[in-house]
Amino acid sequence: MEHSSANRPTGQIFSSSGIPVKDVYVPADTAHIDYSKDIGLPGKPPYTRGVYPTMYRGQAWTIRRLSGFNTPEESNKLFREEFALGQTGFSVAPDMSSNIGMDSDDPRVIADVGHSGVPLCSIEDMQTLFDGLPIEKASTYLAEKHGVLTAMYFAMAEQRGLDVSKLRGTTANCMLAWTVLNLANQIPPEAYRRYAVDFVEWCADRAPNWYPASFNSYNARDCGLNAWEELGILFSCPVDYIEEERRRGRVPLDRFVRRFAFNMAAHNDLFEEVAKLRAARRMWTKIIRDRYGIKDPRCSEFRVHLQSSGSTHTTQEPYNNLIRIAYQVLAGVLGGAQSIHANGYDEGVCLPTDQSMLLSIRTEQILALETGVTNTIDPLGGSWYVEKLTTELEERGWRYLKKIEDMGGLAKAIASGWVHNEYKNASIRRAEKITSGELPIVGVNKFRLEEEPYEVPVFRPDPKAPQAQIDRLKQLKATRDNAKVAQALKKLEEVTRRGENVMPATVEAVRAYATLGEIINVQLTVHGEWPFPIYG
Amino acid sequence: MAEGKKRPKILMAKPGQEGHWTGLVVVSKALRDAGYEIVYGGNMTPQGIAAAAVQEDADAVGLSILSANYLQLVPEVVAELRKVGKGDVKVLLGGIILRQDFDKLKQMGVSGIFPSGTPLPEIVHSVREKVGSPV
Repeated sequence: MEHSSANRPTGQIFSSSGIPVKDVYVPADTAHIDYSKDIGLPGKPPYTRGVYPTMYRGQAWTIRRLSGFNTPEESNKLFREEFALGQTGFSVAPDMSSNIGMDSDDPRVIADVGHSGVPLCSIEDMQTLFDGLPIEKASTYLAEKHGVLTAMYFAMAEQRGLDVSKLRGTTANCMLAWTVLNLANQIPPEAYRRYAVDFVEWCADRAPNWYPASFNSYNARDCGLNAWEELGILFSCPVDYIEEERRRGRVPLDRFVRRFAFNMAAHNDLFEEVAKLRAARRMWTKIIRDRYGIKDPRCSEFRVHLQSSGSTHTTQEPYNNLIRIAYQVLAGVLGGAQSIHANGYDEGVCLPTDQSMLLSIRTEQILALETGVTNTIDPLGGSWYVEKLTTELEERGWRYLKKIEDMGGLAKAIASGWVHNEYKNASIRRAEKITSGELPIVGVNKFRLEEEPYEVPVFRPDPKAPQAQIDRLKQLKATRDNAKVAQALKKLEEVTRRGENVMPATVEAVRAYATLGEIINVQLTVHGEWPFPIYG
Repeated sequence: MAEGKKRPKILMAKPGQEGHWTGLVVVSKALRDAGYEIVYGGNMTPQGIAAAAVQEDADAVGLSILSANYLQLVPEVVAELRKVGKGDVKVLLGGIILRQDFDKLKQMGVSGIFPSGTPLPEIVHSVREKVGSPV
């Protein structure tokens, strides 16, 4: 069978990531792929077709949305509603002030308290956030920096009499995702990695059912990196953590990596996104099994949470985003994701309203229950196009990973400014493609209407919320045993300086009602502040 | 624009602590390519923005906000600029800005509003009208 693509009238077509796409794929395109070695059955290494033998036939993906706003009380109400709607996990987005690591009463962050998430200053806020919610029955994702908020979560669970070793959930704990953002008050990347690795070590010992890190390329992708750059930079992060643990030698590697999770973006190019997830599973298996010689097959299972890509959602004609999001979620399902967050269609406008939140959950439920896409596993496996794309993305992903490793690993590559330069250049390239029309966006640079045809309901954070949060924090600081707090923080600083694992002292500090801001200040005292490497 | 100055100078900044930075970088690049002198400030407090506007003798300040607190931050920036005698500086605003707030923002002293998705050439064109063309 032969096919020529020589006389295309329209010229070369490229995938969203710039991979040349032929007009049709034939068996010869996949002749170099060895089915049993490179693809195999779901639930079997290299897991190209999925990490579990039954995939969605056994259990649908987890519908999970990142949420939180205003105050812990308000967010608690939201969690209760989500739980009643059938959502099976809680995802906590800390607000801007908690992300930065400043307490709500810090004058530098007053305008940001309760924005883009929920303020969490102390164990008290964590108690309020999960009040009345059966955390032992659900799994919780904490989109936090490197373990301080999780220490509060665990301490809160212990107060309820729950066994931490049985809790299920995930902490973001990802140097890659964190450093993308221009946030004040941050410690340098290598110091970040130190805390991140401390947390992984501590969980390996104390919380074996917890995913101690969710390596997250979502932000990097949203800054303009393409699918194979996303793969390369994603894996550069766990590799950097593993290399650090190898230097330390505190925890055997098979226990260190046992419960690593991943978080990627679901972008627009449907087949490329499916191929990306398949390539990611194969790459992770090769890293764990071949590079590090870790034999436990559970360690090489690439479990991934996906989120529809915010950078593809438009402010113009926001309902169009519903369609984009549905396709992106479909890519995630065809690609075999374990958990999916469908953004609100109003992502480019505001935080989700009740209505947009309901629609996101319904988007996933309709896909799961009505379309039949879950009936068989890896339905696109064996497609000459998808298999070829999977291989192509993998090869390019390895090259990008190597580039980062040649710089000394991710922490060094970030510290040098190289990574942010990549983001910057990619963002500028994307903007240029939008301006030129090379990257079509319906309603923005294609078929744009003179006047916006409609308005959508808008969520506005309650301007009174921050004061309630600030008042409560002040009250906490006035009523707790401040001598005990000071003692716990002093101990934390000593432990930090000695290079020991900081988690036991962190847990002790949060139990004494030390605040997030106070704990982060200890880190800044020891490591100094990292200047964000973008200067325009 | 002050006499003797060849190119209008624009200070580009994000008031507040929010982390989305690529929009500010992208617009900075487009304006620089269009001939403007760009001072990239990144995240700054309203006071910091005013101080930098004085120090740099900026003709305009370009703000980027993707958090829903622009109705709080923009008037702070405008007030700080007035406080340091820079009330004549043009204030431009981009990011996730709701149309229903445009009038309010204009009353607050914002001369150009560019919600996310505004084509770059449109931004450049509007800046030329409002701040003047680079010579």
